[in-house]
Amino acid sequence: MRASSLLSESLAVLGKELTSEVRSRVALNAIGLFGITTLVVVAYQIGPYQIQEKDRPYLLSALLWVILFFAATSGLARVFVKEEDAHTAKTLRLAARPLAVFAGKYLFNLILLAALFTLIVPLYCALMGYEVRGLAGLALVLAAGAVALSASSTIVAAIISRASGSTTLFAILSVPLVLPLLVMLIQGTRAAAGSVELAAVLPALQGIVSLGGALLIVSVFLFPVVWHE
Amino acid sequence: MSDNRVRTALHWLLGAWLVLVIAAAFFWAPAAAGFKGESSRIVFFHVPQAWVAVLAFCVNLIASLRYLRTRDPLDDARAAAAARLGLVFSLLATVTGSIFAHVMWNSFWNWDPREISIAILLLIYAAYFALREAVPDEERRASLSAAYAILAFVTMPFLVFVVPRIYWSLHPDTIIGATGKLKMQMDPRMLQTLFASLVGFTGLFFWLYTLDVRLARVRLARQAREEA
Repeated sequence: MRASSLLSESLAVLGKELTSEVRSRVALNAIGLFGITTLVVVAYQIGPYQIQEKDRPYLLSALLWVILFFAATSGLARVFVKEEDAHTAKTLRLAARPLAVFAGKYLFNLILLAALFTLIVPLYCALMGYEVRGLAGLALVLAAGAVALSASSTIVAAIISRASGSTTLFAILSVPLVLPLLVMLIQGTRAAAGSVELAAVLPALQGIVSLGGALLIVSVFLFPVVWHE
Repeated sequence: MSDNRVRTALHWLLGAWLVLVIAAAFFWAPAAAGFKGESSRIVFFHVPQAWVAVLAFCVNLIASLRYLRTRDPLDDARAAAAARLGLVFSLLATVTGSIFAHVMWNSFWNWDPREISIAILLLIYAAYFALREAVPDEERRASLSAAYAILAFVTMPFLVFVVPRIYWSLHPDTIIGATGKLKMQMDPRMLQTLFASLVGFTGLFFWLYTLDVRLARVRLARQAREEA
């Protein structure tokens, strides 16, 4: 009974976020346009022919995650900042339990990241001539990356919404937390691009899942402290 | 013997111990084979600095967890003091590591996994203080920075133990090897000097940490008197 009400509260928070986003489309526009603009600049200046063959696996996987991460940074912080700006945070505190708020906001960020990856990754492959041999491996790395990045972004967004100078603080607090994750995501993407075997991405995937899982569990425990402060 | 006398005696002991460590590092321990000139002697200062940077991170975590349980402002001051010292010692470890890298490989920075690890540790400490500066309310500042410190600690095992062992590294092998077993292949005099230095630097950290916490205690007491 309690679990089902928690689930319904979480889904209600997610529904509120989606409705609000459909009306305003601020986060979607921010991450989508940031991603496309960066991709166009990179493709125009570097493109598929400027990188030497031996450097391609390293540079292309790194550039892809630089575009994805910074595009995500431009929109994911909004989930909590907008509640503080619109003075709706107090109402949300009364309306739903902290865990439900975290779950709803986390799922919303996950959906935003999935939309960003779906938009940018195929475009990047086409514009940069990035041939990925292990599509299943890449899909797994992207999925694990979205789960982990969404966890760190949601809790950091909650922290910075309670501080002044929020938007600049998001990047300052997020980057050191996700750097080890980005290193493993780049390595996993490189492995997926070079081999059709799923085993090639496993070492990186283990690291991504471990770090992402640890961040998610700790975030769930810390969120009530941040939210009720 | 009064507390003050014990404290003074311990300070003198720490000072004498560190002087002996410095003397042993330069005049008693031999230079390691396979390294350029006398460059290996930096290990007696670089390793303890890196150790203290990680120790400070652990103390910061414990104080942050305590703060969230007790809501005692002194625990927040303990967490901030540990982070301040962690920032200084990780900066020192980065500088001494860079000097060693320049002597050995003619380059101050090689994007080695261990260099990246310590640089990220530095960034985490800097972000921790950026967050503290951005929150004017003391209670909220303490809670949010405690939450961030705990969150940042989650990444530490990946930075210190996982990433440097996944990627190829120029860095000389560590005392705790990739298999997790202790490696004791150093000359006994080098090993004794290194362990003495680790003890000395740990003592130095706790001395500075205690000073900072005592100052915070005085500041909090004065604040309480003014509010009363």
